Amino acid sequence: MAAIDSQTYTFTDRGRFGIAALGAGVLGVVLTVIGAFTDTHTFFASWLTAFAFWATIVLGALFFVMLQHATGAVWSVVTRRAAEAMSMTLPLLLLCFIPLLFGLHDLFHWTHAEEVATDHLLQWKSPYLNTTFFIIRAAVYFAAWIGLAWGLNRLSLAQDRDQNPAHTLTLRKLSAGGLFLFAFTLTFAAFDWLMSLEPHWYSTIFGVYVFTGGFLTSMAVLVLFFQFLRGANILSDEVTTDHYHDFGRMLFAFTVFWAYIGASQYYLIWYANLPEETMWYLARWEHGWYVVSLLLIFGHFVIPFVTLLFFRLKRNLTVLRFIAVLLIVMHFVDIFWLVMPTFSDGGVHFSWMHLTAVIGIGGLVLWLFWTRYTANRAIPVYDPKLEDSIAHRV
Amino acid sequence: MRTVTDSHRQDSWDIEGAGTLAVDPKELREPLVEGKPDLRDVTETVSGVVESKPTRLWYATVTLTGGLAAWGILTIIYTTMTGIGVWGNNQPVGWAWDITNFVFWIGIGHAGTLISAILFLFRQKWRTAINRAAEAMTIFAVICALIFPVIHTGRPWVAVYWLLPLPNQMEMWVNFRSPLLWDVFAVSTYFAVSLMFWFVGLVPDFATLRNRAKNRIVKAVWTFVSLGWTGANRHWHRYEKAYLILAGISTPLVLSVHTIVSFDFAVSVLPGWHTTIFPPYFVAGAIFSGFGMVLTLMILARKLLNLEQFITVKHIENMNKVLMATGLMVGYAYGIEFFIAWYSGNPFERFAFINRAFGPYSWAYWTMVTCNVFIPQLFWFRKIRRNLAITWVISIFVNIGMWFERFVIIATSLHRDFLPSSWGYFIPTWVDVSIFAGTVGLFLTMFLLFAKYIPVLAISEVKGILPGAQPSHSHH
Repeated sequence: MAAIDSQTYTFTDRGRFGIAALGAGVLGVVLTVIGAFTDTHTFFASWLTAFAFWATIVLGALFFVMLQHATGAVWSVVTRRAAEAMSMTLPLLLLCFIPLLFGLHDLFHWTHAEEVATDHLLQWKSPYLNTTFFIIRAAVYFAAWIGLAWGLNRLSLAQDRDQNPAHTLTLRKLSAGGLFLFAFTLTFAAFDWLMSLEPHWYSTIFGVYVFTGGFLTSMAVLVLFFQFLRGANILSDEVTTDHYHDFGRMLFAFTVFWAYIGASQYYLIWYANLPEETMWYLARWEHGWYVVSLLLIFGHFVIPFVTLLFFRLKRNLTVLRFIAVLLIVMHFVDIFWLVMPTFSDGGVHFSWMHLTAVIGIGGLVLWLFWTRYTANRAIPVYDPKLEDSIAHRV
Repeated sequence: MRTVTDSHRQDSWDIEGAGTLAVDPKELREPLVEGKPDLRDVTETVSGVVESKPTRLWYATVTLTGGLAAWGILTIIYTTMTGIGVWGNNQPVGWAWDITNFVFWIGIGHAGTLISAILFLFRQKWRTAINRAAEAMTIFAVICALIFPVIHTGRPWVAVYWLLPLPNQMEMWVNFRSPLLWDVFAVSTYFAVSLMFWFVGLVPDFATLRNRAKNRIVKAVWTFVSLGWTGANRHWHRYEKAYLILAGISTPLVLSVHTIVSFDFAVSVLPGWHTTIFPPYFVAGAIFSGFGMVLTLMILARKLLNLEQFITVKHIENMNKVLMATGLMVGYAYGIEFFIAWYSGNPFERFAFINRAFGPYSWAYWTMVTCNVFIPQLFWFRKIRRNLAITWVISIFVNIGMWFERFVIIATSLHRDFLPSSWGYFIPTWVDVSIFAGTVGLFLTMFLLFAKYIPVLAISEVKGILPGAQPSHSHH
């Protein structure tokens, strides 16, 4: 069991979580890589699914940090270190992204020269959809995100040392600009990595959709994480039921927002009924995919919506834990639903490699996250808003 | 660990151990009320506006805006008696200023709903000084908005029959699949809920005015509208519950109304209209334009009504931040739409956007981009966010820019559609201009009447954010 010094909020014992996560991560990655030798095509598709799943969550955490700074939020200060540590796993995600570059041919058929030669639309898009530019853009996205995460962490940790409240103001400014940068990079990353899997299809709202799912899930991860710490009696007086209540409200709000964005996209495409747009949804309905689509509607929206509507249920940690787990699973289903129809002509194929890839990348991400989190104080002890945050009551 | 010695969360922040590195605590969290007014000062200041005689300036302004409104009504009568032909609308631009104005006014209302509902749920205490006036603007703006679709029917006296699903012997029904019908439902719900919310918030203040009234007739009026409010504990308890529930009900309305309005365009297959980002983009734009209008009017109102103590520079700065955030969202949508128009590979889509930016309406497009995207970037500077004169000028640009946004969307997509032989160019007539100017007059007249005869600040709510009003948290 991990333990913490109740005065300084530094970890005295890191426990076994890091090792367990690392073990699971390595095992998962090794198994998935073995899978790559049996079925390269499925390997890349699974790896992309797992990568996109974790990347959107980690980016959601980065957004969480910036949003709290930019709005000057008080309640969330006690929870910020976890989100900060989560954002520090971005360099690892960059590493996880690199294998995908070897599978571009398997993943994106705009990379097939012979197909592009006969496809007028792909020729038109080739100034954007080409391997070189794709890699350059990915480098730009990661540079922006890692730079933001690094800057936000550095200033926040500097406050632990020099106790300077001015850092809070600098962080506010950095976050305001950072959000702007984040919006564009995440949107284009969503276009590149997920939307261009079906290169003929396009939707202006797609970036917002991918962002919302990730942000929502990052908060679900935070809920689970603080409950995990609570089990080890860490921060159980600081992160109170009122904080969980606020997380519950945020989960509620963004479940609704996710549904709103998803429904807007579906609805407008359904209504206009243009074949170049509807084909994307047809691929997510036919050959059994409707099961996944309906699962999303109920699991990602209806159940959390109805549950989180109630005051008492938002304050019930067990219920909240159930909803958080549900939302995390549903985010995976969502990413699976975005990625996989392109690769499965004859129905829904869930490969064991999906599982091992998610565990593999996830184990590594959580290991690094835990290492980063336990290396510093568990809460930003000299943040001028900390006292108010701890005393926060709904 | 650092200890906190401050007795109150709202008005001071003690930063121990900061030494020479200390920042102005005001910069971290500025007080919401300036000076040290007591509860009585709040009542006196706000009720004083209602109870005093109107000034000459007020009469002069009301005469001017009322005259404008009257001119608008005359031109509406002229339109109704002559026909919609007196407008500039014609094939291919069958929707023009009428729908532009409709969407413009509906959008103006959104600041009120956002402030009263979402900012309330987000515990943004600074909303208290501006919510009353912003909610009033919502109601007035929706009234102005509703004029346009009704008169565009040509025969407004039968509009009820066309707009509402009334059972009839011929079993003729409105088209339930048309977003124009959903507009009727969405906007009327919006109006009803906003009015209710506004009224519920006003009840305690009406009671204050009732208790202070000297004139018997005036007292009778306030007695009637204050619904027997005594300020009893039980009344407050129920009031707060009702307020929370209404805030919850209003929250989806912030999204739904402009989402449905965006559907009016986006469900079609017209390039420039049919795009999936429209719903959230319209909502962001509506909030943007609404805050623009709130700033335009409140900067003047706080000065003229001596409310500087309660509507502080911090309020203005916060609104400017909302303006900047929503302005950037709108800018994001412009950018993504343009990119996807190219990326789609659809030549019609591409043409619509190139035509928007470089075609005959390019002047309107660049007015829109300049006002909505470029100019609000000045708010990155704290000095400008806190400069009232500059803020006021920028807020005017935002109002102009958002009107042009709707015009650009509507006119540019229609005037050159798939068939070049039927291309055209819309030019408004004097009647178009007059009716729009008339609604501006109507809106301002209603606002002036409101600012004079109804408490412009929520007296009880402002009292709730005065220093010492909240229970201070325990000392460590």
